[in-house]
Amino acid sequence: MSRSHDLALPEGTTGLIRNLINERTGMFFDNGKSDLLIDKLSPLVIERGFTSYLDYYYLLKYDTAAKGEWQDVMNALSVQETYFWREIDQIKALVQTLLPQWHTRNRDSTVRIWSAACASGEEPLTIAMALNEAGWFERVPIEIHASDASSKALARAEAGVYRERAFRNLPAPLRDRYFERHGSDWRVNNNLHSRIKWGMANLIDEGQVAPLASADFIFCRNVFIYFSESAIGRVVRSFSRYIRPPGYLFVGAAESLLRMTTDFDLSEIDDAFVYVKRERAA
Amino acid sequence: MTRIGVFTTDSHLVIQVWDVALAQLTGITEENALGQGVTALLPDLEQRGLLKRFQRSLNEGVVEVLAPAFHHYLIPCAPVTSTKHFDKMQQRVTIAPLRDDDSIAGLIVTVEDVTDRHERERELATPMLEALSDEDWRVRREAVQEISQRAAPEAIAALLNSVVENHHNPSLLNSALQVLAAASELDTFLPLVELLHGPNPDLRMQAALALGEQRDTRAVEVLVKALNDDDANVRYHVIEALGKLKAVEAVDALAEIAESRDFFLSFVALDALAKIGDPRIAPRIVPLLDDELLCEPAINLLGQIGDEGVVAPLTALLNTPTAPTDAIAGALATLSDRYEQQYGEARYIGDLTSREISPSGVQNLLDALEAPGKENLRSIALVLGWLKSPVVARALTRLMGRVDLRDEIIEALARHGSTTVELLTSQLTAEDLEVRRSAVVALGRIGDPSAAPAVVNILSDESLVIDAANALAQMGDPSAVDGLLNLIGSDDASIRQAAVSALNSLIPPSMFGRIIPLLHDSDPNVRESAVKIAGYFGYPEAASALVELSRDLNERVRCAAIEHLPYVEDERALDVLVHAIKAEAPNVRAAAARALGTMDAPEVVQPLIEGLSDDDAWVRYFSARALGRRRSPGAVEALGRVIENEKFNHIRIAALDSLGQIGGERIAGIVARLVRDDDPNVAHAAQLALGKSGQGG
Repeated sequence: MSRSHDLALPEGTTGLIRNLINERTGMFFDNGKSDLLIDKLSPLVIERGFTSYLDYYYLLKYDTAAKGEWQDVMNALSVQETYFWREIDQIKALVQTLLPQWHTRNRDSTVRIWSAACASGEEPLTIAMALNEAGWFERVPIEIHASDASSKALARAEAGVYRERAFRNLPAPLRDRYFERHGSDWRVNNNLHSRIKWGMANLIDEGQVAPLASADFIFCRNVFIYFSESAIGRVVRSFSRYIRPPGYLFVGAAESLLRMTTDFDLSEIDDAFVYVKRERAA
Repeated sequence: MTRIGVFTTDSHLVIQVWDVALAQLTGITEENALGQGVTALLPDLEQRGLLKRFQRSLNEGVVEVLAPAFHHYLIPCAPVTSTKHFDKMQQRVTIAPLRDDDSIAGLIVTVEDVTDRHERERELATPMLEALSDEDWRVRREAVQEISQRAAPEAIAALLNSVVENHHNPSLLNSALQVLAAASELDTFLPLVELLHGPNPDLRMQAALALGEQRDTRAVEVLVKALNDDDANVRYHVIEALGKLKAVEAVDALAEIAESRDFFLSFVALDALAKIGDPRIAPRIVPLLDDELLCEPAINLLGQIGDEGVVAPLTALLNTPTAPTDAIAGALATLSDRYEQQYGEARYIGDLTSREISPSGVQNLLDALEAPGKENLRSIALVLGWLKSPVVARALTRLMGRVDLRDEIIEALARHGSTTVELLTSQLTAEDLEVRRSAVVALGRIGDPSAAPAVVNILSDESLVIDAANALAQMGDPSAVDGLLNLIGSDDASIRQAAVSALNSLIPPSMFGRIIPLLHDSDPNVRESAVKIAGYFGYPEAASALVELSRDLNERVRCAAIEHLPYVEDERALDVLVHAIKAEAPNVRAAAARALGTMDAPEVVQPLIEGLSDDDAWVRYFSARALGRRRSPGAVEALGRVIENEKFNHIRIAALDSLGQIGGERIAGIVARLVRDDDPNVAHAAQLALGKSGQGG
């Protein structure tokens, strides 16, 4: 079922590619998923005119002129299938409990929220919708930043056009309030879309993480499931360094940081799990 | 001064490389060493028991380490600096195989001067012993770590004496056993046997544990005797140790313990038997399948060690109403995986299972498949795949959207063959993309041409077009040619490639009349694909067109024409390629380098050597690779310069690979020092090249 049966895959090459991708992107494809990795890369190998994955590995590893190729790799490997109103309990906890608490302590400040792996934009737009529904934009200055490592995903987020499938969880009245139908697609209205600042960031690159992670709330959901444990540790440590105290980190329901040593404690707020940065002893 | 020297040998232990550092360390010059047998140069090698370490590395491919604490030196010579404790240089020696593709061509030996380090250790040994009895566990832990790492023989010897004499001191005992377990290079066997025969059961238990950890097969005989120890806890640890030692000699005794159905000891005995893996014992385990408590470990063991003879009893158990279905499916899957690996005969286990299984066994599997919350259904899906029935096929179809089970489901459905074609074809219009994908892949695996029209219809589905093209290639129905030809102009290179591959397996050679006109199509994508098809079939009628297309305005078309020219065997090809590697755009020059590597003419070598100096890194890379394919001894010097001067490591690796392919005596001297390169990819390539170097030329 491989898409790549014309391409040579010398023994040991899969491991080399897998480890290099883990080192540079954090994404980890274990033995059971290495075929998937090879399949996903095959269009790039073909596009480059190579006939062997080993040549492509050397390109990624050694060719300093091929930096742009990494963006293609991120685009090929990123998972962009998501939808509005996904795992909404955490966003409700933000809007109904955490933000009011934050506002009491920081009357004149701007709250900053970062959606760290925004894919095609459904998550930050969901956050913006929930905040707007609760009237927060009128009460508090709010910055929402959204980033992804894939330029392709980000281009879709910036275009703001979605297929029906992205709405499978969103109540119809909200869809009708914030989106306009264009043929078989829906386009998000500009008022909502313009509340979000879009940008690219590779989570494994601390230089790119630092300016964005200086936020009050970080959403990094459904991305660690693709990362190796060491890469997760590295990313969470960089969040911890820059997040503004008290610092709330939201990860996906299928992800847990409990088996790792981090600076965050798990807390249950309303019906949602949230990681809160541990206060340092004075 | 470098503290590590290197030498290599061929498969007869004759020295091939003796590097400068080693000459400086030992005072033996390269001239005196090269061409000598190791035993001629080091006459006491056999007497000191070291020759067998060399032979083991050569015969079994293992890496051998000669620890200085035990062997002190390989090459007798004076220390470089003066010392209080040693009259000879203390050496840490690593002996590693030099591998050719699938054989061992010689050895690479590193010799490290560690005299200074050991001098310091001698000074530290005595206070460490005292620390082992310290009341503070942290002090003891540190001391254990220190001694384990340093393993000074005097310290260990003193430690063993202390243990035997002071076993009532639990702190010292535990620490000492940790050291013993870690210090695998020292002969701790006899002292441990002494402990195993001692009066204290705790000590006997710990000794058994340590003997298991030591992986010393001499321990098997004494441990088998210790299976009769009066103390059940000691017996438990003896059984565990025999498992760790993979003691085949102990299987009868262990099977007897398993048969005793004493849960405490039977369970660990089954575990040990699984580690040992002796298949002869399987029939004795089968009766345990009716033991409520030991049933599951027995099933697992039979999966791991059994042969086809265990399929019937396992399936009989699966047919019972309360069968542990997951465990049995897991064992059958393990067994079939092993048969596939060893004999390529997974199917045989499948056939036996399918012969023995009853309707209630099938129902147990179906119930397990549908049970909610299950993560790992691979084994159940695999076993169901062996059973050909419409009920099973429908159940499997319901799982086609599960990406994690895709391989097993597709394999299972493919085994049903043409009977499932209709069912699968109906899934080609399912709403879930993954279901459609699994259906098209399974149809390809079945290869029934009757499904081709339905699959041609989904060539228009962007998400499935490549899988559909691959499936059509497997079906071999020429009626799909038109649908596939529509794709060869796609803007997506992967789709074009999939279509070209499929067409290459579908088009009868006589259909060249359909392809030749496409070489002149106005769409460059079509021209590029047509070149690849014409080149694949080597149509002589296409030769002139390919020569012409080597000057096409479109770069990708030129690349394709250049790469495929060698296959149409036209006398103009060589001139076109030689011109291209010198005068074309970088991508085309790289394509020309690849193409020249496939030609036999001696005239290709010089342009490829010039390609090693090209401005473009990828032209240099493919030129280096192509020279390896040509196996031209005349390229050795130029490739050697690449290794010395090239700034990109992938090009140095290509040069190393090619030098290995060319072979010959000169290669070893060029590549030997790179086996210690900082970049592991370069070091690995150098090792491979060294391994091959003795065989060529």
